[in-house]
Amino acid sequence: MGAFLIKDIMLLLRDRSELLILLAMPFLLIAILGFSLRGIFSGDLEALEMDIALVSQGDEAQAVASLQNEIEEMGLPPGETQALKQAAESASPQTMLVSLLEDESLSELVTIERMSRAEAQESLDEETVDAVITLPQGFTEDSLRNMLFGESKSGELELLVADLSSPQTDVLKSILNEFVRTVNFEASISRLSGQQSATEVSGGIETITARQPITSFQYYTIGMAVMFVLFVGSTIARQANLEQKQMVFDRIRLSNRPPLLYLSSKAIAAAAIVSVQLILLFGLSALLFQTFAADSWAFWSGIAIISIVLALSVGCLAALMVAITLRLESDAVPAIFSGGVISLMAFVGGSFMPLDGMPELLRAIGNWTPNGAALSAYFSWLLEPELSQLAGPLLRIAAVAVIFLLLALAIFPRKGGAA
Amino acid sequence: MLETEQLTKKFKDTIAVDDVSLVLRQGESVGLLGPNGAGKSTAIAMISTLMKPSSGDVRLNGESVLKKPGDMRRVLGVVPQKIALYEELSAYENLKFFGRLYGLSGKKLEQRIDYVVELVGLADRKKELVKNYSGGMQRRINLAAAMMHEPEVLIMDEPTVGIDPQSRNHLLETIRKLNREEGMTVLYTSHYMEEVEKLCDRVYIMDHGKVIAEGTKEELKAILSDQETVLIDFDQNYPELFAKLSEIEGVQHAAAEEHSLKLIIPKGTRLLAALFHEAERYGAQVVNVNVQTPTLEDVFLRLTGRKLRD
Repeated sequence: MGAFLIKDIMLLLRDRSELLILLAMPFLLIAILGFSLRGIFSGDLEALEMDIALVSQGDEAQAVASLQNEIEEMGLPPGETQALKQAAESASPQTMLVSLLEDESLSELVTIERMSRAEAQESLDEETVDAVITLPQGFTEDSLRNMLFGESKSGELELLVADLSSPQTDVLKSILNEFVRTVNFEASISRLSGQQSATEVSGGIETITARQPITSFQYYTIGMAVMFVLFVGSTIARQANLEQKQMVFDRIRLSNRPPLLYLSSKAIAAAAIVSVQLILLFGLSALLFQTFAADSWAFWSGIAIISIVLALSVGCLAALMVAITLRLESDAVPAIFSGGVISLMAFVGGSFMPLDGMPELLRAIGNWTPNGAALSAYFSWLLEPELSQLAGPLLRIAAVAVIFLLLALAIFPRKGGAA
Repeated sequence: MLETEQLTKKFKDTIAVDDVSLVLRQGESVGLLGPNGAGKSTAIAMISTLMKPSSGDVRLNGESVLKKPGDMRRVLGVVPQKIALYEELSAYENLKFFGRLYGLSGKKLEQRIDYVVELVGLADRKKELVKNYSGGMQRRINLAAAMMHEPEVLIMDEPTVGIDPQSRNHLLETIRKLNREEGMTVLYTSHYMEEVEKLCDRVYIMDHGKVIAEGTKEELKAILSDQETVLIDFDQNYPELFAKLSEIEGVQHAAAEEHSLKLIIPKGTRLLAALFHEAERYGAQVVNVNVQTPTLEDVFLRLTGRKLRD
């Protein structure tokens, strides 16, 4: 087995055109697509549209009423008491925030929906909303106290966004800054009308968590990697065809080695080559384009698990192609596979673009291709590094690999000679 | 040691090998002579256990190898007509790979590589890539690869096709040395009569899938014992004259080649007068007339009416 592996890897290393296809071309495409399509993933106007969940954990009306009672009991002159009570009612920060977000000028960009905390969290996880603004318990009361009495404790908003560095987050921050300025302005007016000493106050924005979405470089590093590993299958099959044509295959058969050793060595060689290919592509992309910010062992272990399963699957695919190639005594199969089938698989697998808008059937087919399932696994891991998330796609890859292997064993010409 | 019994291979409507029975005794050098398409390579593929015969049997030391090809493969060294090597690897890397397939490793493997590259005269160039070798050097390494596991029987399928005279001579000398000095049994197929004549003790002549004659070189040439071969060289090619001369009374077989005409005639036939008469009629100049002792080529011509390289 070792002799076969060393030989196959040496042959590949000396084949510059194959190396170009397997390593240089995907890397070039990662660079081109990563830079040129960056806007699609994080920069253009369409990308600025956002759905926001608004979570109000306090009772605004009760807070205003409570504050008005307190003002009543303060024993201020009736005119002042009346002015402060009116200010408390009209300057409710929650109402102001909703008015701001629902303003006509923002209606094209922002869609706001009131939700419970749990619903909002779930929606963020499912990516049906881009951000969650939470007005915590006591926010209205704290803000009003700050506005009307200049008390130091201000109400604090909670902002939970999918991507801390995305343009959407920047836009949302601008909106909230505008809100804070408005609150300050209202506070000043209120205090002036209430003849309170003017103290600068501000609302606070606290970002609790950020979940990174897929960037264009991440998308295309993974997309191109899962596409170009498929070329290893045709490379190995073409090599087998050459061995058959040049009668090296016959020489190998004459050495009395079990025929299945040849087939399994091809599968293992393919898996080894794919592993090296993935290490180089991910490594270079991380190094040169800072594609993967996460540098923890846990993160890379997940990537390694997916890569190993993918590599073994491509190994089985290579075995199937070798079996067909030797059976047909023709290189037509690797030629057709590399000339068209891989592009098709890459398309339905989502290597070129996200399949969100594609027909359900196409997405289902894509999910059952080794590259499509691997793409899905890598993205799941990037978004949420939970092993349980990987089970589905990895099982699909493994199932397809087993089918490839069984077909390869059935087709491989084990006899053909005297025995 | 090795024999085939009524070996036959059919491909759909074509019978490539038809009822061929051969015997190779230990230490013998046997030639399988025939033109291209005679069925030699198919016969070799069946003998080497790479192809299943339609009928017949291949036996090694009396045991059929069809069910158990392993025994045969262990003793066989096969040199195919094609260069069965990885061109992108060096000769050394190729030999190391094939040696490891035969279970060689470590010092023994290195010693064996050294021996075979020395044998084929490429010890000083073993680290070069096979693709950079000349055709002749590639054929020599092709032989070296077949020798890695110290086979008892060497089967060679047209091993000198398309190579330079120097490499050809080197290869033939190597095979002769293996057979004469090391006692290796050799089955050598070729359509080059002179190679078979030089190397082989016994010869099988094949045509259209059948063995049409067999025996030692002398036995085969005895087929022409009452005949002689006349080779006439002209100043140029005269197709009509050649056709006319082929019809002269007594001429049994004729073969034209560029400016020459070869005629097989019964001994004692008076040919010269008629020859010069016809040459004068056609304005042809006779450059040389040579009466030769028969060769295997002449035997083939006599048996099939065709030349080996037709």
